[in-house]
Amino acid sequence: MRLPLPPALPGFEHVRRTWNESHAFYSARILPGEYYVTKFDEAVSTTLGSCIAACIRDRVSGIGGMNHFMLPASAGAESDSWKAAGLGAGTRYGNFAMEHLINGILRNGGLRQNLEVKIFGGGRILANMTDVGMRNIVFVRDYLKTERLRLVAEDVGDAYPRMAMYFPATGKARVKRLRSLHNNVISSQEKSYIDSVIDKPVAGDIELF
Amino acid sequence: MSTANELVKDIRGLVTLPHVYIQIGRLVDDPKSSSVDIAKAASQDPSFTLRLLRVANSALYRFPSAVETVTKAVSIIGTSQIRNLALSMSVASSFEGLPNKLVSMDNFWRHSLLCALTARHLAKLIGRCDPDALFTAGLLHDIGELIIFNRLPGQAKEALLMVLDSDEEIEVHQAEQKVLGFDHSDVGGELAKEWHLPSLLAECIAHHHDVASSQRHRRETALVHLANVIAVMAELDSLDPLDVPPFDPAVWEITGLTKDCIEPAVREAQAGIIEVERLFTGKQ
Repeated sequence: MRLPLPPALPGFEHVRRTWNESHAFYSARILPGEYYVTKFDEAVSTTLGSCIAACIRDRVSGIGGMNHFMLPASAGAESDSWKAAGLGAGTRYGNFAMEHLINGILRNGGLRQNLEVKIFGGGRILANMTDVGMRNIVFVRDYLKTERLRLVAEDVGDAYPRMAMYFPATGKARVKRLRSLHNNVISSQEKSYIDSVIDKPVAGDIELF
Repeated sequence: MSTANELVKDIRGLVTLPHVYIQIGRLVDDPKSSSVDIAKAASQDPSFTLRLLRVANSALYRFPSAVETVTKAVSIIGTSQIRNLALSMSVASSFEGLPNKLVSMDNFWRHSLLCALTARHLAKLIGRCDPDALFTAGLLHDIGELIIFNRLPGQAKEALLMVLDSDEEIEVHQAEQKVLGFDHSDVGGELAKEWHLPSLLAECIAHHHDVASSQRHRRETALVHLANVIAVMAELDSLDPLDVPPFDPAVWEITGLTKDCIEPAVREAQAGIIEVERLFTGKQ
């Protein structure tokens, strides 16, 4: 039997949620650049190529969610030196995605000291490209370390795209490896996302804390 | 809206069967011809000869001594097997004329070759099917996909997005049915008809997602169904049933195999893939 759709938290009404028939729960499906926070018993899912999804929750209250982001590809010279130089220009897109998700959880009653994190994605899905997936992984690990956030599980890197599904209420995550048949469709979605953010200045309610 | 049959008609002239395959096929069907005639036909095409000898000396056959002549290759591999081999060896280059933007040819043929290796391995295991025919059937099982991707790229992409959007609860052929009204096994089946492929190959291609609908070659079709799922496991390096499409439960009874065959078959395919990629796709 289909359960009633839980209410969406303010700001997340636009995210499409579908009923998963075989496992009997609702799943909010996020696209590259989006994020979703919930305090109810429902899943958040996404499809990842070289992008990263960070899944974060308050392990006491069960409030949590998922984001989906990548750093824009940069010239070879910059990608070698960006880490040594501290934060390269491209990493602000990653910071933006992480702060948004964390602020969304805290705004809805999550406590910073209770946060736990799982990270997924960063696959090397196109053979003829520099390893953008690895760049995203290095970024997110660095970010978690700097912010002293607890990483409890990860499935990153390798050559596969992934479908990641996360249940903030319990912290359970399910990652499914996807066939290379899907590589081009997934990477074209990721590319149009990164092209769209690169044109826009990053501004708004980011606070570094 | 196109039908599977119309798509296949559209690609006439773009993809053709190689001359050497047709020649060998004629001789195999002719009761008056001998293996010497077949070897002679195979020798007409120097690049085919070269590749045939490479295959005959590869780990696929594991002959104790070097195979140095076409005549020897034909007699050891078998005359009717040579016809399938000729098809296997040329299909990747035949389809170069049908490019697409949805899947790289390397990735497409890797899955097909993993399926071919697995189908061949399983055929040897059960001992009642021709391993070389199963290799070819596995190699060709998704061939309709290349035709759909080339002729109907927009709808093909829509079907793939539907699969991703459903968190892969829907399989690719089911999404194709919803978007197009037919799927890649229908298109492959039509191509097999157009090319007058042997009925074993035609059935395996047309029914690998619906073993129950196969008729004369149910055991072979079940092996290709099984090999297709195992090929996905080999590609993803995962034995988790949740990562791959489900097995049709009927295949175990049809083939007499048990689930114990899965893991060794995955390892066998992974061990053999690099060499067969070199032999059958011209990758160095």
